[in-house]
Amino acid sequence: MIICPGCGNKEMPGALFCKECGTQFTNINRDPTLTIPSSLADNLLNGQSNDSEHIVPPTPDDASLSLFLVETGEVIPMEGLTEYTLGRSAEDQPILPDIDLAPYHAYEYGVSRLHASIKIGQPYAILTDFDSANGTQLNGQKLSPHKPYPITHGDIFSLGKMKIQLLVNR
Amino acid sequence: MDDSTFYDRLGLPRDATPEEIKHAYRQLVLRLHPDTNVNKGETELFIDIQQAFERLSDPKKKADYDQQLPPEPKVISPLYLNTYYSQPSLVRLSEPQLIYGLLELNIQPDTNLWVTSTPLNISLVVDCSTSMQGIRLDTVKLTAIDILRQLQPDDIFSLVKFNDWAELLITPGSLADLKSAEMKVQLLQAGGGTEIFKGLEMGFSQVDQFRSNQRINHIILITDGRTYGDETNCEKLANQSSALGIGISALGIGSHWNDKFLDHITSKTGGICKFIPDGGDIRNSILEEIARLGSSLAEQINLNYQTSQDVELSSAYRLQPDPSPLDPVSPLILGYMPRHGTMSLLFEFVIKEIPKNVTQFVIAKGILNIEIPRHTVRTKYINRIVFDRKITTEPAKEAPPAVILNAMMMLSIFIMQERARDEMSKGDFDSATRHMEKLATHLLQKGEDDLAQSVLNEVTYIRHNQSFSEEGEKLIKYGTRSLLLPARSGE
Repeated sequence: MIICPGCGNKEMPGALFCKECGTQFTNINRDPTLTIPSSLADNLLNGQSNDSEHIVPPTPDDASLSLFLVETGEVIPMEGLTEYTLGRSAEDQPILPDIDLAPYHAYEYGVSRLHASIKIGQPYAILTDFDSANGTQLNGQKLSPHKPYPITHGDIFSLGKMKIQLLVNR
Repeated sequence: MDDSTFYDRLGLPRDATPEEIKHAYRQLVLRLHPDTNVNKGETELFIDIQQAFERLSDPKKKADYDQQLPPEPKVISPLYLNTYYSQPSLVRLSEPQLIYGLLELNIQPDTNLWVTSTPLNISLVVDCSTSMQGIRLDTVKLTAIDILRQLQPDDIFSLVKFNDWAELLITPGSLADLKSAEMKVQLLQAGGGTEIFKGLEMGFSQVDQFRSNQRINHIILITDGRTYGDETNCEKLANQSSALGIGISALGIGSHWNDKFLDHITSKTGGICKFIPDGGDIRNSILEEIARLGSSLAEQINLNYQTSQDVELSSAYRLQPDPSPLDPVSPLILGYMPRHGTMSLLFEFVIKEIPKNVTQFVIAKGILNIEIPRHTVRTKYINRIVFDRKITTEPAKEAPPAVILNAMMMLSIFIMQERARDEMSKGDFDSATRHMEKLATHLLQKGEDDLAQSVLNEVTYIRHNQSFSEEGEKLIKYGTRSLLLPARSGE
């Protein structure tokens, strides 16, 4: 039995997608103890000198991710899903992003209703812009829409003008 | 049927097993039994099949027959098949499990037997009810005249108009006088109701009269309305058409025609059903349909299949050409194969139990039948298909192949939409709305903004009216269906 991490729906083993909510299962069926080569960003974070005591970073499954809203100082934990959509809910539209930024003045910052997604993956997460009206920037660089960009601990990206930092807690 | 062997009649290869002979016979009987079908031409077909089975089911008679059979003409199927699976192997489990198989049919690259287009034997059956009045009928008329002018000498064409009754406007014989045929089309007027059976019946009688092995035999129905009370007759006619190798396709204009009904009728014959929304390009849709038929290598490709014990084919989809769900019963009516292109089919199998002591498990096997009309004869080809996997103790760690993953991604969107429509028809508005919202989110993620917008509009409509709008439901159904085309999911 596969229990969908998105909605708790039960599917038979061998299912590739949840028929209830469309969540893809292939990532969670796989061996969860992948070892990931440490990236340059990791080395920077850990101090460049510790090459000798090379630590294999934990898998994304073990690390818990959260989003730090730079302007307001709020922290939004990311738990339970393998992929999160970011956006803002609006009264007239029934779009439901997994992480709703509406309470954080998303409209004023120029966040689209369905702006981008963060998928848990190597090294920690993958950021994809959904061709949003005001675009997504990663460390100051504008992202091409619908293209996946790897992000890691400490990366700052902005949805429109809303600055968000990815935090990885080990 | 002059030189056809008893094996041909049952759609079997000469090395068919007794089990396969019995299976093929049973399926044909179900379709053609004289008690249920008393139509012209079918009783003879039934007798042919009966005769074939009597010989082939008796081992002694079969052996005698095989002796006197002339050596099998060397026909190499022009198709080659690729099979993909969602998992490289199966693991024994104490609960039912799923496996997906994707079957791809391609034409051998060195095949040059069908460079020329196939001549057509078609009947255009045009709804002339009151609602067709104006731009709809005017466009159909102009397009029909274009078709008349472009017909090839080998083509056979008739035009039937119908409302409360049917009238044969253009007979294949009358085409010598093109001017008067064009005039007849020009003078078509709208008025009255939509009795689809009357139109189909007359179109059928025309195509059947000129039915030939060298041609693509097809009925094209153009309608914008619903038929009432004659659905069962239409269904019988579709069964009959299918048995005789006549396809039926439908083009539905606007929002009021019955999509479920016409999907059902056309899919029985391997035909397709297209939705032309208000303001859509009627002319282009008709011409595309004619072009599609002309460029078909074969129509009505069938897959006669048997699943192993404790295995069920839970659903089947044609992804390419013309994505569509398929009724998962044997024989699967797969539809047409384009002269240039691929057919790909996705199968979802539920495996309830894997027998002990096997290392290789046959999930299902089948016989693929394809008849290719050519200038001289219609040649039958047969491909055997086996879906099987080895049994391992550890689950495989490889990710499913991209073709399957991409197809399933789009399929999960299509299924969500089917679910929402199903829930709505059962009056479960909350679940339907929830699924529609999820659907919109997924569509936006895939960059399908227009379709997502249609879904959102529909959610608003549902909130106010507690039902789908006729137009919106069709837009979403045919819109998500077209996403299944592999070319798009590769983006």
